[in-house]
Amino acid sequence: MQFKLWQNRFGFKALIVLAFAALLVSACAPIAPADDGGMAAMDDEKVTITWAMWGSPSEVATHQSVADAFMEENSDIAIEILAEPWGDYFTKIQTLWASGDSSVVPDVLFLSPIVNYASQGVLENLDPWIEASGYNTDDYWPSLLQYGMYEGSVYGFPRDIGLEVLYYNIDIFDEVGAPYPDDTWTWDDLAAVSELLTDVDDSGRVNRYALGMEGGKWMIWVMQNRGTALDDMRNPSRCALADEGAVEAVQFFKDMLDSNYFMPPSNMGQAGGDAAVFQSGQVAMIIQNASRVSAFNAAGMNYDVSVIPIPADGQRASAAGGAAWVMSALSDNKDEAWTFLSWLQSTDGGQRIYTASGEILPALQSTAKSDAFLNSGQPPANRQAFITEGENARMGRIGYFVEWSEINGSFISPGRDQILIGEVSVPDGLAAICEQVDAFLADNGFPK
Amino acid sequence: MSRWRRYRPDQQWEAYLFLLPSFVGFLIFVAIPVVASLALSFYNWNLLSPPEFAGLENYSQLLTNDRVFRKVLFNTSYFIVTIVPLQLAFGLLLAVALNQGMRGLEIYRLIYFMPVVTTIVAAALVFQWFFNRDFGILAAAIWELAATTGLPVRPPDWLNDPDWAKPAVVILTLWKNTGFTMVIYLAALQGVPTELYDAAKVDGASPWQRFRFVTFPMVSPTTFFLMVIQMIGAFQLFSEAFVMTQGGPAQATLTIVYYIYQMAFEFQRMGRGAAVAWVLFIFIFIFTLVQTRLQRRWVHYEAGGES
Repeated sequence: MQFKLWQNRFGFKALIVLAFAALLVSACAPIAPADDGGMAAMDDEKVTITWAMWGSPSEVATHQSVADAFMEENSDIAIEILAEPWGDYFTKIQTLWASGDSSVVPDVLFLSPIVNYASQGVLENLDPWIEASGYNTDDYWPSLLQYGMYEGSVYGFPRDIGLEVLYYNIDIFDEVGAPYPDDTWTWDDLAAVSELLTDVDDSGRVNRYALGMEGGKWMIWVMQNRGTALDDMRNPSRCALADEGAVEAVQFFKDMLDSNYFMPPSNMGQAGGDAAVFQSGQVAMIIQNASRVSAFNAAGMNYDVSVIPIPADGQRASAAGGAAWVMSALSDNKDEAWTFLSWLQSTDGGQRIYTASGEILPALQSTAKSDAFLNSGQPPANRQAFITEGENARMGRIGYFVEWSEINGSFISPGRDQILIGEVSVPDGLAAICEQVDAFLADNGFPK
Repeated sequence: MSRWRRYRPDQQWEAYLFLLPSFVGFLIFVAIPVVASLALSFYNWNLLSPPEFAGLENYSQLLTNDRVFRKVLFNTSYFIVTIVPLQLAFGLLLAVALNQGMRGLEIYRLIYFMPVVTTIVAAALVFQWFFNRDFGILAAAIWELAATTGLPVRPPDWLNDPDWAKPAVVILTLWKNTGFTMVIYLAALQGVPTELYDAAKVDGASPWQRFRFVTFPMVSPTTFFLMVIQMIGAFQLFSEAFVMTQGGPAQATLTIVYYIYQMAFEFQRMGRGAAVAWVLFIFIFIFTLVQTRLQRRWVHYEAGGES
């Protein structure tokens, strides 16, 4: 009864309309009008550079300290950070670019792989900027800058070099009385020591594997044995994985796997990844880049690093690659963006701060050979291993063309899984991969 | 009552007004993207450069020249023919067991329904450890057996062996969804009139016969509903494989939806991904249509007038 009275007094319909109008207005209202322009004008025409990257909260904190240091030196430029988790970052950035609106696309971004973006014309060609400012590109590790290049021009500056070294757990080595690895080690030495380090129950259950490594890094063995995935990693005409060097290399590590020396990569992933199994002592050695150092130091582990053992007549083949800073071709403030970019990639600027944070092996040799890296006073003791691998780093771990991710994701990785599982023999498995890759290359008009 | 009569007979705009908010949402987030994806499937587009018209190339490549797609179709069929019947069977079994008038029905119902509301990502991560050969609880029991008895038994390497990875995904999916089919069946069972059972008992029907000739036909509309829903669900299997096996090992758990994701967001082939999505739609459409046709043969609807 009361309800009815109430309805009559106010008019039920009017109420609905009102409520709906409120809803509409709130739904359609622009989210915080963009009056940054006005603010900047008041603030002595300060130019704002948007700086985008992925990263964990602790990495973002480091990025923020880099931005703060830059702004202290350059009071006329403000840096605004746009950080996203790795999983969403690339989709987000591509969507922003697809919008074509220069006000929302970040000016300076962290990207990988560079060639995919450079080939689409969304990145600024840095050659003219390098020439005009006299920026020293010789300071990069050999081959590293190749990673940021497309058709002979530089489009990105790798922030760090993702080269791998061999981490080993000193406690476990001491426990079984194994000699520590050094730069004379070959694959045979690795296998011999793995025998000592591996711990298998009578039942066949493995308590400890000698070595752990992510599956995606397998090309390191192939390249150490002078093999390669494709005949030309920029413009391939055929798959080279069935060639002798590659077959030998994969066979060696398949044997390591069958002897329980090498933890199956997928198993390691399920156990939490290489850092987790290394810290828990489930593996005695891992092959990984410098990114693990800060975590192992924080955990107080007793470990050191060494160069990765190579075959008797092989070569060092750590990866010359790393995510790179780029400038968006759509940027409205390219001068300021270049100022920031070139400062980021200098020993006195960003490189030193990142290196001091312990998160990276710097892209610049001068930074790596400075006290910030070599004499940081923290483990690992043998930092020279990074320098040795760096001086011998090679490109070619990944393909420098757009279709590589599909070739790798659809054919090479699944084929490698089949080999490691033992579904096919090594030569047959590699031949099967190559058959599929060659067909794909032909279908997609390679060589271009 | 008199109030209602005062409404105009053509008075419909209030209804549309009420519909509008959800309709706007449907339009923006469902209808427009669906149409856009159909258009997209005729283009090559990598998000960054302008789309290029490709005609039927995305479809023809898929059907004639894509080994991975064939593998993906096989995997998805495997999941459909295992997951759908098992899920219905287990759901009905549990529902019949719980429908025996036992005490604490609510508690059991809650226990079995809990996985349904558990986040799939958390569940898949836990199952990943559960299945692990070196330290998983499932394997630990077998290793223990091997160690104590000296028998040469070895636990399967569930997630790293293509022959075992599919069953692992099936087990996770069953664990996750059986509670749902059980609850629906339970509701259906409670709607079966007890007179029918009484009559069957008087006629001397055994418990199995009562199940076969009373329960089963009486819940057949529910079975039909669940079959359609679960088949669509199995066609769209993704999260389980994405989190637990990443589609591996060696693409053994790569499903159609996973392939759409890979094509569109890992390989930046939006058009090809959209084409796979439309092929999936056509499959689901055909299968649902066939099921609807076939239901006349086995689904028993109790005529409303008779009761």
